[in-house]
Amino acid sequence: MSSAATALRLVHPALEAAADYVVVEGVGKTYNEGTRQQVEAVAPTSFIVKAGEFVALLGPSGCGKSTLLMMVAGLDAPSRGTIAVNGRALTAPRAETGIMFQDPTLLPWKSALDNVLFPFRAADRGTPATDPAMMARAATLLDQVGLKGFHGHKPRQLSGGMRQRVAICRALVYEPDLLLMDEPFSALDAITRDEMNLVLMKMWEEHHRTALFVTHSIREAVYLADRVLVMSRRPGRIIEDIRIPFPRPRGLEIGESVEFNEICGHLRAKIQHVPH
Amino acid sequence: MTIDRLRPLLLPTAFGAGLILLWQALVTIFAYPKVILPAPSDIWTVLLAELPTIWQQAVPTVRDTLAGFAIAALFGVGLASLLSFSRLLRDAIYPLIIVIQLVPKIAWTPLFIVWVGIGWQSRLTVAAFIAFFPIFIAMMAGLESTDRSLVRLCRGLTASTWRTFWLVRFPASMPYLFAGLKIGITLSVIGVIVAEFISSSEGLGFLILKAAALLRTDLILAAITVLCVVGLACYGAVHAGELAIRRWQGE
Repeated sequence: MSSAATALRLVHPALEAAADYVVVEGVGKTYNEGTRQQVEAVAPTSFIVKAGEFVALLGPSGCGKSTLLMMVAGLDAPSRGTIAVNGRALTAPRAETGIMFQDPTLLPWKSALDNVLFPFRAADRGTPATDPAMMARAATLLDQVGLKGFHGHKPRQLSGGMRQRVAICRALVYEPDLLLMDEPFSALDAITRDEMNLVLMKMWEEHHRTALFVTHSIREAVYLADRVLVMSRRPGRIIEDIRIPFPRPRGLEIGESVEFNEICGHLRAKIQHVPH
Repeated sequence: MTIDRLRPLLLPTAFGAGLILLWQALVTIFAYPKVILPAPSDIWTVLLAELPTIWQQAVPTVRDTLAGFAIAALFGVGLASLLSFSRLLRDAIYPLIIVIQLVPKIAWTPLFIVWVGIGWQSRLTVAAFIAFFPIFIAMMAGLESTDRSLVRLCRGLTASTWRTFWLVRFPASMPYLFAGLKIGITLSVIGVIVAEFISSSEGLGFLILKAAALLRTDLILAAITVLCVVGLACYGAVHAGELAIRRWQGE
């Protein structure tokens, strides 16, 4: 391992003191277990996300990183191992987790504002979707992601990037303690993607939540995260765990720095030279 | 621009009018016997002369059609919704309904008359029975084809099965439902007419049968003309409902 990479492993003291928030222990996923079609999607994997930490799970397509995220969301059951969130064993989706999927998954017949308020309709969260305070919160979120003037628009009338902005607001509106994101910007073009990274960064700095972000883009992972976990090809397992030292708030210009590109180079080498 | 928008209406109307003119011309030129094929002008004359009688007979037909359709819609949507909640019920009942649906449903008509009598009840039953299947099957297809990612979103948001149904699956199946309702309303008219053929002393089906016995071909065609208008109006009402829902759903 190069000395640069070793240096990057220096730990931020503030994060080191934080509590363990997501504890993944020996979690693996095998489809069609015990049959001829048996496929091991995720090899037994362990990692910890600290409270308030933004962790990116980076890996090539089909390495099982999305499966791993869905298991942390409680939407997919692990074949083995255990997951605990905020000290509690995970058995089903949590009401306090916010999820962003690869697609915006908006209700086509609802306006942007109503889509943001959907979590209050879908489940009891103490306040109804018609609560003025919640409506104001949803409207503020939409304004913050640059959708002022589009509150009443239907998803069909919005661009791909705008829809994913609505999805960010929907994931944040009920103030989740944990934000899970499954390649939310992978369907967008490079320019829109940079924009969305900025928006997400701004929102995250404002609504500081523990976050787990799955991506196959090295630059995206390094730009967004406090820590990057690298997964190998299928069956996925974690082969690298490095800290990203840039202070926040981060502008897109950090992508031009030598240090940023060194980290990216190191991660690329890791992904490419994975022993199977 | 207006011409472009009216095109889908103008073109078939003009073509239809052309066919009627051709019919009129052929019947006049070849002096076809009126009993076999009356000219459109003859039908028009009879229609105007007999309009009070025809309207009077149209009322029970329309009533039974709409009532049968409403019952079919209620049961079709209700049963499909119920089955969407239980895998067990669905697997037990759905294949049976598909099998029953394969039998020509008109064949059941005499049986219904035996069961519920020769009154309006049997007409209603036949109409509802025939219209039920397309509505049920369309609703079933709609509920089963709901975007899986939306259902997963609901699960992630800890939505109950009921809320997932009411907030996502049900509204998402509206396009399917209306496709079924459109077939249903058409079949409901057919059901009522067939039932009127078999057992009735009123309705357009009865009028057609009576006119046939008297070899009043012109009256039969006049009654069929009114039936066309009735069917079109019913279909139009369902279509209007669909447009309203679509507008509400923001399409």
